[in-house]
Amino acid sequence: MVETKRKTRDESKGNKGAGKRMRNHTNSNQKKGTKKNKREERRKRTGPRLPNALQREIDLKNPSTPSISDEEIDSDEANDLYEYEEAIPEEQSKKNRRYDPVDNLEYELPDDFKDENIVSDDDDEEDDEDVDGARGNQKADNDDEEDDRRHARMLQDITGLPSDAFEGKRRKNNAIISEAYPESEYNPSRDVLDGDGRISVQDLLDPLHGKSGFSKVRKNLHRMERKSMSIQAPLPKPDREKLERKVAYEKSKKEITKWEPLVKRNREAPTMYFGEDVELGFSTVGAIASEFEPRTDFEKKIALLVNDNEVAEAHNKDGARLLELNKLSVEDVKDRQDRLAKMRNLLFQHEMKAKRIKKIKSKTYHRLLKKDRLKSAASAIEMDPKAAKELAMKQEFKRAEERLTLKHKNSSKWAKRIIKRGMTVQDEGTRAAISEQLHQHAQLTRKMNSMKDNSTSESSEEDDGDEISTDSDNDGASKLLEKARQKTHEVLEDDELPKSGVLSLPFMVRGLRKRKEAADEDAKLALQEYESSLQQLEGKSEAESKKMGTLSGRRAFGTESKKVQQSSSKIKSDNFYSNSDSEDDIEVNEDVDIGQGKRNFTHKDVNIDPDLLREDSEVGHDPVFKSFDDIVKDPGPKTTYEVSIFADNSWHKKKNFRESNQKKKSEELLNGSADNTSQVLERILHGQEMEEVDGESDTDDDGRMVDGVSISSTKSTYELPSQKDLIRSAFAGDDVEEHFEKEKQEILNEENPIPEKPVVLPGWGFWPGQERKRGRKKYDPAEEKRKEDLKKRKDAHLRHVIISEKLDKKAEKLHTKTVPYPYTSKEVFEQSIRMPIGPEFNPATAIGALNRPEVVKKAGVIIKPIQYKDVNPHDTREDHKRSGQRRKNKGSSRAINTMNTKKMKAN
Amino acid sequence: MGVRQENGTPRKLGPVTEEEIADVTDNEVRKYLRGEGANLEVIQDKKLKGQLAVREELYGKSAKTAAKAEKWLMPTEGGYLDAEGIEKTWRIKQDTIAREVDISSSKKQYDIVLPDFGPYTLDFTSSGRYMAAAGHKGHLAIIDLQNLGVIKELQDEMMLIGVTGIVVNENVEFRGRGKRWILVADLILYRCIAEVREAVRDVVFLHNELFFAAAQNKYLYIYNRDGTELHCLKEHGAVLKLQFLKNHFLLASINNFGQLHYQDVTTGEMVNNYRTGLGRSDVLQVNPFNGVIASGHSGGTVNMWKPTSAAPLVKMLCHRGPVTGLAFHPNGHLMATAGMDKKIKLWDLRKFQVLQTLPGHAKTLDFSQKGLLATATGSFIQVLGDFSGSQNYSRYMGHSMAKGYQIQKVSFRPYEDVLGIGHSMGWSSILIPGAGEPNFDSWVANPFETSKQRREKEVRSLLDKLPAEAIMLDPSKIGTVRSARKKEKPTKQEREAEIEAAVAAAKSVSLKKKTKGRNKPSKLVKKRQQGIERAKRPLLEQQMEEELSKKKKRKMSEDNQLPKSLQRFARKTATV
Repeated sequence: MVETKRKTRDESKGNKGAGKRMRNHTNSNQKKGTKKNKREERRKRTGPRLPNALQREIDLKNPSTPSISDEEIDSDEANDLYEYEEAIPEEQSKKNRRYDPVDNLEYELPDDFKDENIVSDDDDEEDDEDVDGARGNQKADNDDEEDDRRHARMLQDITGLPSDAFEGKRRKNNAIISEAYPESEYNPSRDVLDGDGRISVQDLLDPLHGKSGFSKVRKNLHRMERKSMSIQAPLPKPDREKLERKVAYEKSKKEITKWEPLVKRNREAPTMYFGEDVELGFSTVGAIASEFEPRTDFEKKIALLVNDNEVAEAHNKDGARLLELNKLSVEDVKDRQDRLAKMRNLLFQHEMKAKRIKKIKSKTYHRLLKKDRLKSAASAIEMDPKAAKELAMKQEFKRAEERLTLKHKNSSKWAKRIIKRGMTVQDEGTRAAISEQLHQHAQLTRKMNSMKDNSTSESSEEDDGDEISTDSDNDGASKLLEKARQKTHEVLEDDELPKSGVLSLPFMVRGLRKRKEAADEDAKLALQEYESSLQQLEGKSEAESKKMGTLSGRRAFGTESKKVQQSSSKIKSDNFYSNSDSEDDIEVNEDVDIGQGKRNFTHKDVNIDPDLLREDSEVGHDPVFKSFDDIVKDPGPKTTYEVSIFADNSWHKKKNFRESNQKKKSEELLNGSADNTSQVLERILHGQEMEEVDGESDTDDDGRMVDGVSISSTKSTYELPSQKDLIRSAFAGDDVEEHFEKEKQEILNEENPIPEKPVVLPGWGFWPGQERKRGRKKYDPAEEKRKEDLKKRKDAHLRHVIISEKLDKKAEKLHTKTVPYPYTSKEVFEQSIRMPIGPEFNPATAIGALNRPEVVKKAGVIIKPIQYKDVNPHDTREDHKRSGQRRKNKGSSRAINTMNTKKMKAN
Repeated sequence: MGVRQENGTPRKLGPVTEEEIADVTDNEVRKYLRGEGANLEVIQDKKLKGQLAVREELYGKSAKTAAKAEKWLMPTEGGYLDAEGIEKTWRIKQDTIAREVDISSSKKQYDIVLPDFGPYTLDFTSSGRYMAAAGHKGHLAIIDLQNLGVIKELQDEMMLIGVTGIVVNENVEFRGRGKRWILVADLILYRCIAEVREAVRDVVFLHNELFFAAAQNKYLYIYNRDGTELHCLKEHGAVLKLQFLKNHFLLASINNFGQLHYQDVTTGEMVNNYRTGLGRSDVLQVNPFNGVIASGHSGGTVNMWKPTSAAPLVKMLCHRGPVTGLAFHPNGHLMATAGMDKKIKLWDLRKFQVLQTLPGHAKTLDFSQKGLLATATGSFIQVLGDFSGSQNYSRYMGHSMAKGYQIQKVSFRPYEDVLGIGHSMGWSSILIPGAGEPNFDSWVANPFETSKQRREKEVRSLLDKLPAEAIMLDPSKIGTVRSARKKEKPTKQEREAEIEAAVAAAKSVSLKKKTKGRNKPSKLVKKRQQGIERAKRPLLEQQMEEELSKKKKRKMSEDNQLPKSLQRFARKTATV
C-alpha cells in the first residue's frame, strides 16, 4: 500500500512533467470537456491566477485548453465578460527549473510486449464512479480512446502500476488531498480506503518481471484469462451440507454393502460357530506337565538333577548309591557353619544389648521407655479390641482393689500422721502429695465405661453414691455405710480451728480440741464399725453369690466359701455388734448349709432320678409290655374267634346263597322253557344280590368243574355253552342296525342339538282372521347351521360309524391354541413338526445336526466382533459344512495320531 | 413237496457290503421322512422359509442315514411259504414244515397237554421270551420259552411257575416232530386246593415278565414272577378280559357288567372307569398304534375308548350278531373283527370302512408282527396272509388240532414265527413262517435281555411313560393346532366378567356438563346409575332366557316322565 501510494505520488509528479511536456500534444479533446472545463476556462479567464500546481493539473487534464479551437468556441462568451490576465509566477514559468528536460518522451516497449487489455470489474467500477465524465467518454471516438490508452500505458510503464490505477486516480485526484497523518499501514491513504487501489494479479506479477519462472507464471495467467470462466457464487450452507450428506451417504452405503453377503450368510446359517479356531490349550494336568520346560536357574538345576541318569539309576537299584551321591562338599559345610556362627553371634549381641538396657537405672530413661511403651500400648488398644478389653479389665480390677483397700484414701500411716499433725503445718510438697493421693483415689474409684456390656447397668446402680437403690437390702445397707464413712472422714479431715473471734481464744481452742478429739475417736470407731460392717456385708454378698454357685452345683467352690465365711465370722466375733453379726453368720451358714443341703438334695435327686426313672420306666414298661402281651395274647383268640364267627357267618351266608342258587337253578331247570324276559326282570329286581350270587355261582360252577374234572375231562372236553350265553347270542343280533341308527341319531342330537323354536301361543302374534300359512317352512338359520355341521361330521357318510366329536378337555393341553409365531399357516406348522428329532428315532450321526443349538461356542472363549471376509453370496452353506468337516477331520486326525502312537508303543 | 421255506434266513450270507448300503431307494427313505414336507413356496416369510428349508434338508439326511442304518441293523428278512405249481400253502402241514426247518425251530412245535385246567389263555411279553398261560380252572404259569428249547431235559429247563407252590407230578403229553413223549413235569405248579377252584379268565403281563395280572373269579390280582400275590384290585370286579397299555402303564379291564376300568399301575390310581352300557363283553383289544382300546359287544358294535372320555371315541356297527373276536394290525390301521354272523371283517381304521369280508366264524383273532391274521374256531386254526401288499387277505395256512379241542386263544409270539394256541387241553405251539419280525431292536424289546438290562429298561420306560391324555385316535396330532372349538355356553365366571366389564365401561363414560341447574350431583349420579343399568340389561336378559329354557326343558321331561294316566294332573303350562 505504502508503495502504491508513493507510486501515485510519483505519478502525480510525473504527471506534472508530462503535462508540461504534453502541452503541445495534439489531442485537443480530453475526456472531460464539458462543464468542468468550461468552468475552469471561465475561471481562467475571469478568476485570478490559479496556483501553479492546480494549473498544471488542469493542463494535464485538459491539454487543449489553451488551444485555439476551444477559445474559438467560447470566444464570444469569454470576450463578453471581463479580461484579466494574471502574470505567471516566476517559479512556474519554468525559470527555476530543477530538472533537465528529457528528450525521449516515448518509452520503447519491449519486442514481445503485447498490448493487454486488463479489463475487469475495476473498469466498470471506474465507469460507474465517474458518473459525470465517463458516460460522455464512452461515446468518444476511437482515436481519442487510443490516445488515452497510450498515455495510460506510458504511465504504467514508467511507474509499473496498472493503467487502471492511473485512470481512476486521475479522475479522483482532481481534488487536492491533504493528509493529516503520515501514511502508514495503520493510516492508509484515502484512495486505498476508497477501494480504488485494488491490487490485481498484474500488480503482483510485475515485480517478478525478469525473474526466472516469470514467463511461466504469466503464461499460466494468460491461459487462465483466456478461458476466463465466471465463478459462480457459492451455494447456501444448508444446500451445501445437504449435498455433502448425500455424498457421504452414498459412500458409506457403498462401504456397508460389502458386508451384506457376510451378514446374510450369518443370518441364514442355522448354527453359528464361535471361537472354533481358538486353541484352548491343555485339558489335563499331565498334558501341562509334559510341556514343562525349565526356565529359571533353579528350575534348570532341578531339571538337571531330576533328569540325571545316575540318580535315576540309583533310585532304580537301591539306596546305597544314593548315599554316595548325597556327599556334601567341604565348602558347603563351611558355608553352613559360617552362616550359623553369624546367626549365633547376632543373637548374643542382642542379648548383651538387652542386658545393658536392663541395667540402666536412670529414672528418666525408664520413664521415657515406659511412656513409649504406653504409647505403643495405647495405639495397640486402639488397634485391636482384645487388648482394649484386657486393659479395661485390668483397670476395673484396679478400681475394685482401690475401693476395697482404700489405699489412697489417706488411710496410710503416713497420711494419718500428716492429717493428725494438720495440713496447715505441712509444707507444700506434702500437701501436694496428699492431694495427689486423693486425686489418684478419685481417679481410681471413678466409674468407668466398663467393657462388660452385661454388667453395666448393675454396676452403675451400685456406684451411684447418692442414690440408694432399693434393689436389695444388702446393697442399700452398704451404700448407707459408705456414705456414713465418708461423712466421718469429712469430719475427721475437717479439723480446722477458728483463728479469730471468741473461739480463737486459747481456752476455747483447748476445749474445742478436746471435744474434737473425742469426736474423732467416736468417728474413728464409727469408721471402723462401718468398715467392718461393710466388709461383713461384702462377705455376705460373697457368700450369697457362692451360695448361688453352690445352688448351681459347684461343689469345690461351695466348700471354699464356707471356709471363708468361717474366717470372716471369726474376725467379726470380737466386734461390737457381734450378736447381730453372729446371727447373720448363722443365717449365712444356715443358708449355706441349706444351699448345700439343697444342692446335695438335688444332686441326690439327680443321682436317684435315673434309677427312679429306670424303675419307673421299668414299671411303666412292664405293664405296657404286659398289656401288649395281654392284648396280643388276649385278643388273639378273640379275633380268631371273631374271624371264625365271621367265617362261619360267611360260610352260612355262602351256604345260604348256594342254597338259593341251587334253588334258582332248579327253578330254572323247571322253567326251562320259561320266558327270558321274565328272567331278565328277575335279574333286574334282584340287583345287588345277583352280583354276589353270580360270583358265588361262578365259583360253585368252577368248583363243580374242578370237582368233576376227572369226569368231564374223561367224558368230553367240549362243554355246551350255558343257557345264558345261548340266549345272549341268540337275541343279540335282532334289529341291530335299527338300534344303531337310533343311537347315532341320539348322539347327533346331543352333539349338535336341535335349535329350539319359539313357542307360538294361539291368538298371539297374528291379527284376527289371519292364519298362518301351512306347509311353507320358514327359513331357520339355526337349523341350516345344524345341517351344515352334521354334513361336516366325519361320520356323515358312514352309516355304521359314530365318531364322537366331543372335545377332550384333558387332552387340550397337548395341542397348541394358535399357530406359533413365525408360522402363519397351520399346515406348514404341522408339517414342520412331523419329524421326531430325539435319539430314539434318528440315527446317532444325525442327532447332532438335528439338535444343534443356534450358537455353538466354547466356554470361556471371547466372541470377537464380526470381521470382514470375502464371501461369495451364492455358496452360503458350503462354508459351514466345510467347517464341520474340518472339525471332524481334526478329530479323525487326532485319532489317527493316537493310533500311530499306539503302534509306536507296540513296536 | 417242493416247499420253499425261508424262515428267518438272512437275505445273504455274510455281512452287507458298502455298495449295497449306499444305494437306498426313495421308498426306503420315505418311510423315515414320516410324511411330506411343507410346501415352502407358499410361505411368504423369507426367514421362515430359509429355516424350514434347512430343517427339511436335515430331515432328508437323517432319513437317508436311517434307511442306511436299517440295512445294517436289520439284515434278515422274514421268510414265508411259497407254493410251487398247484401246491397250496394252506395244505402244508406242520409235519412237513418240521421236516424242513432247523432243529431249533422244530423245537418250537409242541403241544402241552394239561387237560385238568380247562381252556387256556396265553399272553406273551413284548420280547416274546416269556409266556403266561392261564387255565380257566385255576392254573397260572409263566414259561421261559427260550429255555424250553431243549425240551428233552424238561425237568430242568421247563420252568412253569404257578401261583402258589405245590408241586404235583403230572403227566404232560408232549407232542413234537410227530412223536409223542410222556414227560414228567415236576415243576408244574398250580394253585392249591382252596384257591385253585377259582376261575382264571384272563392273564396279562405288565411292563415286563416280573409282574402279571390275572383276572380271577371275583377280583383282579397282580402277581409277581414267583407267584406271590402282590395286589388284589377289587375295584375292577369280576374281570372278563384284560389289556395292558405298555406305553401308558395302564391296566385296562372289562368286567362282567360291561364296566371298563383304567388303572395306572405305577401309581395305583384308578384313572377312570366307565359303564359301557352295552352289557357283558369279553372282547377287548388294545390298538398298539395309539393305545385306544376297542371292545366288542353283543350288539355287533365295536367301541373304541380312551381313558379321558366317557363317551366312546368311535362306535362301529361291525356285525349283525355279537362280536366274538377282535384284533389290530401292529401298524394300527387295520382291524379284524369276527362276529356271530359268520363273518370276519377287515376294517381300515383310517376311513372306518370295510376292506374285506371273509366268511367264517372265529372265536379268537390275532395279527402277527408281520401282519398275518390267525383266526381260530373250534379246533381249527386258519392263518390269513397278505403277501401282495394290497391288504387283500387270503388263506395262507391252516392247522387243525386234535378233535374235540376247543381253542380259547391264539397269539403270535413276537419275533418268532410261532403261533401259540391256548385250548381246552393245554397249549400248543406251531410254526407259521413269516409271522414274526426277524430283526429285533434291543431298545424296544430284547428277547435275550439280562436282568440288568431289564432293570434299566424299566426305569427308562417309566421315564418315558405317556400320560393317559395322550391316548387319542391319531396320536400324530399331538402338538398340532387345536381344532376350532364349537361355540360353548359361557361359564358363570365368564358371564360375570362380561357384566363387570360392561359396568366398568358404563361407569367410565364422562358425562357432559350441563347448564346451571341441570348439573346437580344427584342428577349426575342418577344418570350414571341409569347407564349402568342399561349396560347390564341385555346380559342379564340373556341369562334369564337361558335359565328359563332350562326350566322349560326340565318341565317337559317331567311331563314325559309321568305315566299317561297321571299326566292330566300335571300343572298346566301356558304353552299350547
